[in-house]
Amino acid sequence: MTQHNEKMDFKKILKKIYTDYTFILSFVLLVIFASVINKNFLTYSNLSTLMLQSSIKGIIALGMTLVIISGQIDLSVGSLAALVAGLGVVVLNSTGSIFLMLVFCMVFGGLLGIVNGLLVTKGKIAPFIVTLATMSAFRSIIVQLGQGGPFNVSSDMYNSFRLVAAGSVGMIPNLAIIYFLITLFMAFIMEKTKFGRYTYAVGSNEKAAKLTGINTDFIKASAFAITGVLTGISAFLLSSRLTSITAPNAGVAFELDAIAAVAIGGTAMSGGRGKIFGTFLGAIMLQMIEGILIAANIPPFLTGLVKGVIIILAVLFQSKKNK
Amino acid sequence: MYLDMKNITMKFGPVTALDDVSLHVGEDEIHGLLGENGAGKSTLMNILAGTFPPASGDIYINGTKIENMTTKKSHELGIRFIHQELNLVNDLRVYENLFLGEEITKGFGLVDKEEMIKRSADVFERMNIDIDPVTMVSDLDTSHKQLVEIAKALLVSSSLIIMDEPTTALTNTEIQNLFSIMRTLKKQGVSIIYISHKMPELFAICDRYTVLRDGKFIDSGNFSDIDEKKATELLVGRKMIDAEIPARIASDEIVLKAKDLTLHPFFRNISFELKKGEVLAITGLHGDGRGELAEALFGDRKMTSGDIFIKGRKLIRNSIKSAMRAGVGMIPRNRKERSIIKDMNILDNLSMAFFTSSHKGIIKRSEEEERFEKNRKITSIKIGNPYDNIDSLSGGNQQKIIVGRWLEAGSEIYILDNPTQGIDVGAKFEIYSLINSLASSGKSIIIFSAEFPEIYKVADRCIVMYKGNIQAELDRDELTEVNVMYYATGGGKQNDAAQ
Repeated sequence: MTQHNEKMDFKKILKKIYTDYTFILSFVLLVIFASVINKNFLTYSNLSTLMLQSSIKGIIALGMTLVIISGQIDLSVGSLAALVAGLGVVVLNSTGSIFLMLVFCMVFGGLLGIVNGLLVTKGKIAPFIVTLATMSAFRSIIVQLGQGGPFNVSSDMYNSFRLVAAGSVGMIPNLAIIYFLITLFMAFIMEKTKFGRYTYAVGSNEKAAKLTGINTDFIKASAFAITGVLTGISAFLLSSRLTSITAPNAGVAFELDAIAAVAIGGTAMSGGRGKIFGTFLGAIMLQMIEGILIAANIPPFLTGLVKGVIIILAVLFQSKKNK
Repeated sequence: MYLDMKNITMKFGPVTALDDVSLHVGEDEIHGLLGENGAGKSTLMNILAGTFPPASGDIYINGTKIENMTTKKSHELGIRFIHQELNLVNDLRVYENLFLGEEITKGFGLVDKEEMIKRSADVFERMNIDIDPVTMVSDLDTSHKQLVEIAKALLVSSSLIIMDEPTTALTNTEIQNLFSIMRTLKKQGVSIIYISHKMPELFAICDRYTVLRDGKFIDSGNFSDIDEKKATELLVGRKMIDAEIPARIASDEIVLKAKDLTLHPFFRNISFELKKGEVLAITGLHGDGRGELAEALFGDRKMTSGDIFIKGRKLIRNSIKSAMRAGVGMIPRNRKERSIIKDMNILDNLSMAFFTSSHKGIIKRSEEEERFEKNRKITSIKIGNPYDNIDSLSGGNQQKIIVGRWLEAGSEIYILDNPTQGIDVGAKFEIYSLINSLASSGKSIIIFSAEFPEIYKVADRCIVMYKGNIQAELDRDELTEVNVMYYATGGGKQNDAAQ
């Protein structure tokens, strides 16, 4: 192989880094910017808060990365999180087992993801429409079940359950560790397994993928199923962090944050290209931007505007880059 | 008007599509532009229409040099381009298509529907065809769609009309109508550039000709000074005369047997056998059902009835997996849309079919690179780095990667559907020798192609299709262009072809 690698000169390597790893560059720039604006940015307490805030949405965004790489979109993750979290709290309160609750959240989340996936592949309905519909449906179910009120973690579980999200190993918060481990696992799936390659292939050219024998429906449905499982884990962590799930509000606009994290992380919105690690940083960057807005005294009502602009800018930047 | 294109050169990456080509079209002249697929005709016309800027060369219209031609400029100069492929919006009505982007308005941006319908009806009357302007385009058959496409160019006054194979879907009467419109236009001072593969048409309607071959200017002159034979020689050059397939040892082992394959409305009762180490060509003209048959053989299309047997074992119908497991590989037509995974690197593109047919779930870099090296030698791919994007390769090398994809998957039977589409001539020959060497090594090949020179370079046997039926099966010694054309146009089996 070496004789080929010699031909890949320095300029080419730089170009590859520029096209494939821009998210690292933007991350470094953002860190510098944040520490200039906020002198306390690089303190332990600030960084651990940053990780606490970005992890839960970040885990969902990891799943969203698969969905988007495979050329699809999932708008239902916020409602799905609320539905799973609400019922997860019920499971926790009735069984008294944190472990059973986690299993429930993953399995139930996965099942809801499979519902999305089957509607898309077997029903041949565009992912945008399917998940718009299930976004509405999942939310409605949990609001009805809770009669508009919250699902509260019972007082005897409160202290032990709260520690899942609030605890830490040494200096590092549990949430950050969980987020990082899941990132590693997902990156392994996407980089080192056939399933990962298939996901890219389906998003890049579904027809060609099918003609090489890839079961494209399975890949597309799996992306939703995996997103469901990860959103389930996220819902579990969210319940632990909030200890009370208010059905109409929990997880609202999570889909926006997840998609924004994926876009900032450099994944092509048209599918076929992207990196799990990019999304990992993307979710953190999104949280940093929120922090910067607060530090810069920009009214909190405007964060939605800023996020919208960021998504557009990220996508614009990508399409320019690929010309 | 009269047109001069002088010393036009056009490069697409490493491929030179046009090399110092000049074209002169006189006032009220119908000029035939001849050349095989890939000779550079379309590129030259796209430069004239302003779609591509040329790498070098000049365009003169009525003696005036036109700098930086754009589509807008060429429109303003009255140049109209009737494209070979249909550019109609199926969900709009005929008149809406005709005026798309140039709607007549009553002011305030309101469209003048009555006027547009009236003007459309006028054009159809002039063309002597019966199309109601308010019909939905989706309800028209292909020949009428093509006529609408032509009508689009006649709607406004123009000075030069480019017609890129306008008659492929037309009936004889419609062609005669088109010719009489062309003659009328000529009288009105409109020049026409007419691109076609059909010699009788060219000789019937055109005044002068220009021949391009492999991106180069070959000859120009009056049609009255040459005959069809001379024109064919100019067109193909000498390159096909010495085409010889290497001697192959015939095997009696039947690897694939197709029995009464039927898919309405595309093809019916297709039966044939394929031997080990044999190259079977399947050919025909537009509308023969060839493409659909290729897809059905690979399980990519649901057939109405019929069965495929590989080495005596029946394939599960409509299952790509089943075909792959039995050792069938597919090199689809339209490489960009159907086989290249554009966001992936060369290595991943090569390995894709191997992944789906092997059982391991985890990918090892070193094994992949080893496989790649092995393939590079077999298919003689010229590339630098296997981690470069697939887009960095030329069409020919991309196609070799796709063939390698199936070699890796261990395929024994290769279905090649129009494998040299969009590949430059040099690389085409490499693909042919790759096909021949695959056959020599005991692989069996079915090649779907409409180009006779191509078939002649590889095929042991040739099936000619006509409107979804097998019209004839020709052995190597019966394989002549005249024979193939005779059956492809519906010639009967009893009265042997005029040789």
